[in-house]
Amino acid sequence: MKPSKALILSIGCLVLATAVAKAEDAATTARTWTDSKGRQVTATFVGLQGDTISIQTAAGQIFNLPLTTFSAEDQAYAKSAKPAVTYVAVNATVGQAAAAVDALVVKGLLAGRAKITKDNAAATLATDKRELPKPNPLMTDEQFVRRVYIDIAGRIPNYDEAKGFLTDASPTKRAKLIDMLLDSPGYASNSYNYFAEMLRVKDRLEQDNLRGVDYITWMQKQIAENRPWNEMVYDMVTAKGKMWHNGAAGYLLRDGGMPLDNLANTLTVFLGTDVACAQCHDHPFADWTQRQFFEMAAFFGASDTTNRAAGMKTRELSEAAVALAEKGGGDPQRIRNGISNFIRANNNEVVDSDKNRMKLPHDYKYKDGKPNEPVEPKFIMWDTKKDKGNPAFKQSKSKEEGLRESFAKWMTHPSNPRFAMSIANRMWKRAFGQGVAEPVTNIDDPEKASNPELLKHLASEMVRVKFDLKAFMRIVYNTQSYQREATSEEVKMGEPYYFQGPQLRRMTAEQAWDSYMTLVVGDADKFTKPLDSLYGRSVDLDLTNEKLDAKTVLMKYSAFQGMAAKERALMGGALGSDDMMMQSKKGKGKDAAPDMMMENASMSFDGMVLRRAAELEQPERGGHFLAEFGQSPRMLIDGGSKAGSVPQVLMLMNGKAQQMLTNSDSLLFKTMDKVNNPADKVEAVFLSVLSRKPTLAEKDIAKRGIESAGSDGFSNLIWALINTREFMFVQ
Amino acid sequence: MMLKSELNRMDDLTRRQLIAKTAKAALGVTLLPIGSQLARGAATAAAGGKAKHVIYLYMAGGMSHIDTWDPKTGDTKGPTDPIKTKASGMMLGGTMTKMAQQADKISIIRSMSSKTGVHDQGNYLMHTGYDPRGTIIHPTMGAWGTHFLGRMSKTLPDSVIVNASGGAGAGFFPPAFSPIPITNPAVGLQNIQPTTADSNFKKRLDLMNEFDAGFRKKFQSAEIKAYSDFYDETLSLMKSEDLKAFDLTKEDAATRAKYGTGSFGQGCLLARRLVEHGVRFIEVQTGGWDMHNNIDTAMGTTGAGMDNTFAALLEDLASKGLLESTLVVMGSEFGRTPNINENAGRDHYPKVYSTVFAGGGVKGGFVYGASDEGGREVADKQVTVQDYLSTVGYAMGLPVDEVVMSPSNRPFTVGDKGKPILELFA
Repeated sequence: MKPSKALILSIGCLVLATAVAKAEDAATTARTWTDSKGRQVTATFVGLQGDTISIQTAAGQIFNLPLTTFSAEDQAYAKSAKPAVTYVAVNATVGQAAAAVDALVVKGLLAGRAKITKDNAAATLATDKRELPKPNPLMTDEQFVRRVYIDIAGRIPNYDEAKGFLTDASPTKRAKLIDMLLDSPGYASNSYNYFAEMLRVKDRLEQDNLRGVDYITWMQKQIAENRPWNEMVYDMVTAKGKMWHNGAAGYLLRDGGMPLDNLANTLTVFLGTDVACAQCHDHPFADWTQRQFFEMAAFFGASDTTNRAAGMKTRELSEAAVALAEKGGGDPQRIRNGISNFIRANNNEVVDSDKNRMKLPHDYKYKDGKPNEPVEPKFIMWDTKKDKGNPAFKQSKSKEEGLRESFAKWMTHPSNPRFAMSIANRMWKRAFGQGVAEPVTNIDDPEKASNPELLKHLASEMVRVKFDLKAFMRIVYNTQSYQREATSEEVKMGEPYYFQGPQLRRMTAEQAWDSYMTLVVGDADKFTKPLDSLYGRSVDLDLTNEKLDAKTVLMKYSAFQGMAAKERALMGGALGSDDMMMQSKKGKGKDAAPDMMMENASMSFDGMVLRRAAELEQPERGGHFLAEFGQSPRMLIDGGSKAGSVPQVLMLMNGKAQQMLTNSDSLLFKTMDKVNNPADKVEAVFLSVLSRKPTLAEKDIAKRGIESAGSDGFSNLIWALINTREFMFVQ
Repeated sequence: MMLKSELNRMDDLTRRQLIAKTAKAALGVTLLPIGSQLARGAATAAAGGKAKHVIYLYMAGGMSHIDTWDPKTGDTKGPTDPIKTKASGMMLGGTMTKMAQQADKISIIRSMSSKTGVHDQGNYLMHTGYDPRGTIIHPTMGAWGTHFLGRMSKTLPDSVIVNASGGAGAGFFPPAFSPIPITNPAVGLQNIQPTTADSNFKKRLDLMNEFDAGFRKKFQSAEIKAYSDFYDETLSLMKSEDLKAFDLTKEDAATRAKYGTGSFGQGCLLARRLVEHGVRFIEVQTGGWDMHNNIDTAMGTTGAGMDNTFAALLEDLASKGLLESTLVVMGSEFGRTPNINENAGRDHYPKVYSTVFAGGGVKGGFVYGASDEGGREVADKQVTVQDYLSTVGYAMGLPVDEVVMSPSNRPFTVGDKGKPILELFA
């Protein structure tokens, strides 16, 4: 970087820092306030809005009082003092909220610089000295349009979208685009992919071939409707019944029969509390004990993911139905497994009883309990002193049937010390590539975050916007910190990151695929999966019905198989067929490009269904583009991978996706047809693929490249651009 | 130059770091063994080092020890009775009918023990020998092999992982050491042929590099460099004469059927083909082992499938004369609870579990260590995950006690200072 530019940047940084420092004076100095009746209170000044003074007591509570309540001296103070930067009024604008976040980022950056300066002075080896972080330059419109489309809508902008934004002269166009994208179907699709990875959402569950379709559909609907996060999580943890009657029940049924794992996952993903180790022994690093883990598990001790009352009926019916079916011939093992899975799927149901059955493990070895001893439910506390007075902890635990509700109320309570913080930290990471606290699955000690004050502020913002994730992300995307260039230096594992800008990162598997879909079909959201779940309707049996007999079961089973076949067809052959990648369905429709055909309202190319990742099987099977690019197999929390590999490169260089794009009937070629001269065509390809115009040098390279390749010229140009690192990485 | 006295003042570790730095190598610098018990030469000269190839069969989810390799007859017995095998005195779980016929080829460790009952951590540990940390990624065994022994084949990769992607991979070694993931063995390595003439393909590559030069100059991160390395790696692979190694259609239908038509069966067949073509380390994964519910049914499908494939693989390797030079190892993140739970399944159990070794110089019909009567505790010769991976390393001829510095200058060894189980080797 040139020295002059660096200087300007650091000056900019200093100016901001001064603002923070001054504001902090007022915000951190507690003074005594006196009202007109002579009563006194010690509090810090938060701000003055119109005729209302806001002050904050040491306990953190904010009071908004009429100016006239206070003594003349106090009134004068309020009018002259600077308001606290980090305080955001309940009805603050997005701009105000974003500015408060930016101020804290700068403050953290300065603290980081101070710390590194100190460390460097103490370091003996030159290689141990680290460079001082400084804010990255603000990003250009070209960088902005690409990044927000990928980050919010989960795909690159198409030609018209990129061009439209770049030629728009409005000074507020960035904020407008953010608003537009947050309301687009792409936001829902992209967010679903994120949560599906976090929550390990899958279609084919291990137990009894149970399927998760109704849970998936439920989750997609909640996200599309922007249900507040706390409500959505509350529903998941407290839902009762079968998945196809209540999609939210899928959260517990996903981990059916493994309640301890489910609890460990719950605490990890929603509270950033990594207690999984405590399942087997006291946590080696943190303070969590095995007893505490089981006390938490006791909240689920009266719940079950299997309807045991129906168990007897299930076995009898299975035997009778199998016997009946075997008379008809066929492979007995297949018949047995098929029918038994069909009936057993109906045993997967979240039920509550009035008895808490949670016990300490049989090999419990600590002094605070005996093996197999019953455990009473008890909430964990992060800070015993503070948490005791916290309203989140005031939950009734008297009724056994209500244990899950108590737990869910405690967990999703705005005052829970980690719930808002955990999701806020995760959402921040989605925008910046790194959480304020890392790993996001363990934020036991917020003080260890790279910027503790920012972390706490983001948590309070999450509460202020009432867990409206869209509103929260709107603030984050509108910050100056987000709208900086990506950090080009290597960020070492385990070292704190001070958010000099977002980190450079590879697109997720889903974003890469959805970007391809954008290049291929233009409007990637046009094609969706069949809405109705045929599965839920056809698998459902009422096992409590006395009259249900083997013959009826067999009839329903045969209908179920028929439905499954129909659904396979509707999903475009992606489900159930192992050799899908080898199937070559070459049809030639009149209006479609060669080798593409309309099929069940979805396009497909050579057996590959052209729909967004969220509309395909969850997760996709081995060999699919998504699997090769690291889509999570949904076994482990946040299990996706962004590592490169040989098969990925082969797919990019020689795979079907590039064939679709370099084909002279492709959408890209049609876009080029809109303009006549070769230079404009080059520009159209650059805008379509990289969302930017070519530089002069690139125009030159393109011209030479096209001229030397004859009829392959433009295909080569497209191929070269989609194979660049610039395409695959988000700046 | 630093003064000698200063050098002496530094603790042992820092001094090693300094030496590593002055050795001028940026990645994976090898130092002399410290506290050496097994020198490299000794390892290769003794019984170890016979495994030119390794096939690692990884049972994702936690394989029940009692229902497979460590059967019990008491109140913790599973749905089937233990069965006798070809190896005298060695009993196996009732589902392992085909492996019973191959028992003379295997060594079982019945005294594995670890501390983690969590899939994620257990999986990482069973692949690297280390607990996951937020500050570094440790290499998997194939990458260690490439580091110490160099690449086996000029054009084929040294490691391949089947039915999985991601994982720790090359760890802190160069990305080119990463196993190539094959997510669907039935189709093997897809898209290996360019869709355009060679001369034009070259033009495309040149154009790509020209357009991307600015971006790569601006962002010189390891992640971007890794991608560029993968492009180089892929281009060299595309020229390989041995690509048919990945093509299962070259096998006759009877062989394909014998291995089992599922992804695990086909994956193991692919592994054998890769061994024949000079790939050192192949991992084949299969799921379905997290049997919290109805273990009877689950063993009937997943368990029986594994039994069939494992037996087919050993038989095939032996008949082709490859078993002496190929180590087959089977592992899983933990065992499962001796007590059957209320859902007729078993839960996670790291306290005692089993792993299996075959070929590559290990004894046949041999059992090492033991669990107690109920399969609840280690009764004899406890083996840690570190010991287990060191044993694999020893079989491969790796200097398991040699300290290697990561680029961040921290010291690591194959299997984190575990002790190879020498008794396993013939």
